Amino acid sequence: MGVHVFGIRHHGPGCARSLVGALRILRPDIVLIEGPPDADDIVTLLSKDSMKPPVALLLYPPDCPQRAVFYPLAVFSPEWQALRYAQEQHIPARFMDLPQSHRLALESEETNAGEQSPSQDRTPHNPDAAQDSANGLSGEASRIDLQDDPLGVLSLLAGYSDRELWWEQQVEQRQDPSGLFEAIMEAMIELRAHATVSLQHEAQREASMRQTIRATQKEGFDKIAVICGAWHAPVLANFSSSKADAALLKGLPKTKVIATWIPWTYSRLASRSGYGAGVTSPGWYHHLWASPDRAPVRWAIYAARLLRGEDLDASSAAVIETVRLADALAALRALPMPGLQEMNEALLAVLCGGDPGPLRLIRDRLEVGDQLGTVPDETPTVPLQRDLEAQQRRLRLPPTSEIKTLDLDLRKDKDRARSRLLHQLQHLGIPWGQPQPVSRKSGTFHELWQLRWQVEFVVALIEASMWGNTVESAASAAVQSRADQAQHLAELTALVDSAVLAGLPAAIDHVLNRLQAQAAVSADVQHLMDALPALARVARYGDVRQTPTGHVVPILDGLFERIVIGLPGACASLDEEAAGRMMNRIGSVQESVDLLDNAHQRQAWQQVLQQLLANDSTAGLIRGRCCRLLLEQRVIDAQELQSQARLQLSPAVPPLQAAAWIEGLLFGSGLMLLHQDPLWNALDGWLGGLAAEAFIELLPVLRRAFAGFQPPERRSMTEKVKRLTAGICQRAETSGVNAPSSAAPETLGVDRERADRVLPVLAQVLGVKLVGHPNHGK
Amino acid sequence: MNRSQVPRSTTPASLAPGESSSVLRHRAEQEFAHELEELARVDDRPKPPNWRLSPLAARTYLLGGKLENGFEVSPKYIGNARLIEIAIATLATDRALLLFGLPGTAKSWVSEHLAAAISGDSALLIQGTAGLDETALRYGWNYARLLAEGPSLDALVPSPMMRAMQTGKLARVEEFTRISSEVQDTLITILSEKTLPIPELDTTVQAQKGFNIIATANNRDKGVNELSSALMRRFNTVVLPVPETLEAEIEIVERRVDQLGRALELPAEKPALQEIRRIVTVFRELREGITLDGKTKLKSPSGTLSTAEAISVANNGMAMAAYYGDGVVRAGDFAAGITGSIIKDPVHDRVVWLEYLQTVVKERDGWKDLYRACREVL
Repeated sequence: MGVHVFGIRHHGPGCARSLVGALRILRPDIVLIEGPPDADDIVTLLSKDSMKPPVALLLYPPDCPQRAVFYPLAVFSPEWQALRYAQEQHIPARFMDLPQSHRLALESEETNAGEQSPSQDRTPHNPDAAQDSANGLSGEASRIDLQDDPLGVLSLLAGYSDRELWWEQQVEQRQDPSGLFEAIMEAMIELRAHATVSLQHEAQREASMRQTIRATQKEGFDKIAVICGAWHAPVLANFSSSKADAALLKGLPKTKVIATWIPWTYSRLASRSGYGAGVTSPGWYHHLWASPDRAPVRWAIYAARLLRGEDLDASSAAVIETVRLADALAALRALPMPGLQEMNEALLAVLCGGDPGPLRLIRDRLEVGDQLGTVPDETPTVPLQRDLEAQQRRLRLPPTSEIKTLDLDLRKDKDRARSRLLHQLQHLGIPWGQPQPVSRKSGTFHELWQLRWQVEFVVALIEASMWGNTVESAASAAVQSRADQAQHLAELTALVDSAVLAGLPAAIDHVLNRLQAQAAVSADVQHLMDALPALARVARYGDVRQTPTGHVVPILDGLFERIVIGLPGACASLDEEAAGRMMNRIGSVQESVDLLDNAHQRQAWQQVLQQLLANDSTAGLIRGRCCRLLLEQRVIDAQELQSQARLQLSPAVPPLQAAAWIEGLLFGSGLMLLHQDPLWNALDGWLGGLAAEAFIELLPVLRRAFAGFQPPERRSMTEKVKRLTAGICQRAETSGVNAPSSAAPETLGVDRERADRVLPVLAQVLGVKLVGHPNHGK
Repeated sequence: MNRSQVPRSTTPASLAPGESSSVLRHRAEQEFAHELEELARVDDRPKPPNWRLSPLAARTYLLGGKLENGFEVSPKYIGNARLIEIAIATLATDRALLLFGLPGTAKSWVSEHLAAAISGDSALLIQGTAGLDETALRYGWNYARLLAEGPSLDALVPSPMMRAMQTGKLARVEEFTRISSEVQDTLITILSEKTLPIPELDTTVQAQKGFNIIATANNRDKGVNELSSALMRRFNTVVLPVPETLEAEIEIVERRVDQLGRALELPAEKPALQEIRRIVTVFRELREGITLDGKTKLKSPSGTLSTAEAISVANNGMAMAAYYGDGVVRAGDFAAGITGSIIKDPVHDRVVWLEYLQTVVKERDGWKDLYRACREVL
């Protein structure tokens, strides 16, 4: 009669199989499951076809969604199978744990109490409670750990060092389920008899479970199947008075809780992903559940196919040997069949040839897997999530847990809408898509994204729903609030930039207003310079996305004016590091000026650059850079450049500053050095004239200046050196004119005096006349 | 560590009859003969054909343990038990076994003891060198007889491999990857068809049950001949790692130093655990490039600094203490040894070792004596 208790391990495929068998024999008229009763209403959703595990029950207090609690369920979870069974047999299934509305309330009370009296130690079970609720069903194992680890004691007694392994072999791998649950019950009764006194909230949970069973009995149900974690089984099987339990549950605080189903993934289920003690190998468990016969053989074949897919050798012969080795290992360890460890060891020794790399691939793709569950459309959700789902359908962007690359052409309406959606989600803290750098040829109309849906995004969505009920309005509100908090100009302009990308006109207006206010009071030219490029991009490209950006231009003009005024002052007396940063800023302002293509601004900018060039107090690096920029814009010509070079490289200028000038001048590309012979000669002359000590001192700076060049550039430079020196010598030979650079013959290692002595004889031999030779006249 | 837990294993008294005790080093099956005997006596599990012990008993021999009758088997390999299980299971499935690992990770040691436990004979050994030719893996000829009598089985000189095939024992190939690729490939037929053709006599040698090959190779060797994939396919690979924890490594060093000291009849007391701990600590820290407390980054020297080298340093220290000191191993006795084993490259390693001495050893509590001793040597 009455109550049949099945002690299980959460997410144990062996348990699940035994449980289904036992339920079929028992034919109960109601199923009670250890889980939150707050979710009783949405259990019926299980009957929908589109409900596919892995899924999770999500419970959250609407005022504080960050404290959400998950109860993940996979196809191999006994709880899932029990729910399925109930639904197939058209019998009710209910949860019986202490409702989360109480547990969350208790938890927040405890946290508050802890905050109010920091001097006192927090109650010992407090962190435990937090952990347990965060882990949901899968938290069981870790909690038992904290209670002196009774299962560990049991497995140690059985001679196992690994507690999981003991359970695995004794319970999960058991072929014959008869008597299993009785044995578990007996073991647990014995363990609980010796275990330390239960914690308060544990007692409350168990009391609540008992009360639910009593209520069910009262309703007139006859055969009640109770499915709970093995640890709780003994106290649910035998109980008498409800008085003590009622007392325990009296006056518990309560908070509002919303329950829903969300899709879950296997990688999230695996314990390593940070959700506490889950299942380490959901893929393996799924495999055991889906193909119980010859699981090791199939597993080895899956692994081999996976490796082949990655272009790694995996022959059938190797698969055969893998299975043989796994079998031999199982026999050596006296196991009924090879477990995951045996399989892994055999795969490593045979298929992977001892190399752990491929095994890691198998671990990620097979052992964990990337399966993503689905939930029916009727599942209760926040409006924001509904809006997102509608957009995902409209834009044909289904969420998947695989990594997918998306190439968007922004000239197409649909792609633009997709891009907007992804950018808006970024603002809401949901990095579904990661923007990827676009290769140069596809131009500015392309956007490359890497998409990967992660289950915790659902929680982020619930959190974000405080901003608004559609993705667009929420993103807009989020941007505006961030703009109000922003301290620096650069932050604000970056916000404008990203708000344009996300297509949020209301937010743009707001941020621009803030920007104007900030720019007016900002004294720091550097901040203004940092802010300029993003704004320039908006002004230039905003129209590609059909965003109204008319407000940007006046602000941009204001910023630019301030920069032009402040820049000369900001460039004076900078140290090397600051000069480097300033040089980059000047470069990016130049880019913005090019982008905006406004003749008036260009002229003003060029004047500033010339001013900087002429000013002696400007750092060498910056002056070099200015020189380069002006040259590129043809404001100064080659002759001017040469005179500048002479000036900057003259002996009066400290060598370090001269070297910095070269670095600034050549920054980024050495092509100028290749094509501007006057510059080359000036540089050559300067280098040749350096004292040995000064040269050594300068070498690092010079090296740095040349380090940024592409290898082909460097190669053509050396070729030019060869050609020039050859040319110099040749000219010296034939025309007798002295080499333009006196340094050249020395670099060739020619002893001039001795060489000269040979020349007359050589001329006689060759039959040429030696003209104008410096020594000839002597 | 509790010394009383470590079983005293062997004394030269347990040698097979006829073996002189003046032999420098006894083979595994000689040194541990009584353990093998005892294991065989109580072993009632099914044995693969021609195996002396069942796989489980072989496992006990390698990893140590207590038999049902109370007999203590000393552990030969200290480390991951699962690796030994894979090795034995591999041999039981008649796949060849390839032990891979850094120098000094007990590859040859494991191979010798596996052969001793399974075949009772670890002497069928082929030492791989670059100059090895096919005859070492197949057979050679006694040319005097060949000329006098013509080709016959009597004129044939079998290789250890051939003898292992004929007797159904394990053959061992050391430093497998140093053998040139052409010669390595000789093994393909032997491994896949378990036969060795002798075309000169128009006959073949067919391997008896129980025959198998254990090859060892190190993966930090320069000039290694990579195994062809055809050959690799016939081997199960087990990678032997460097000892995982400090305690495990200390136990290995201590046990081996103890055994070696007795084998070499060194009159010194075996070094105190504390000295061994210091040697192992130095080796581990330099090998991993970080101090054990994880606070200081270190440079690593060019050598591998294997456990085997730590054993030899401790051993060397014992000899120094015995012959030049008062028999008690102190820092000064192994300073020269430890310096020599770390400085393999006179320039780079010297800098590494000096930095280590100055930044770590000098500062560490109770290590002053080691610091002074090592600085004297340098």
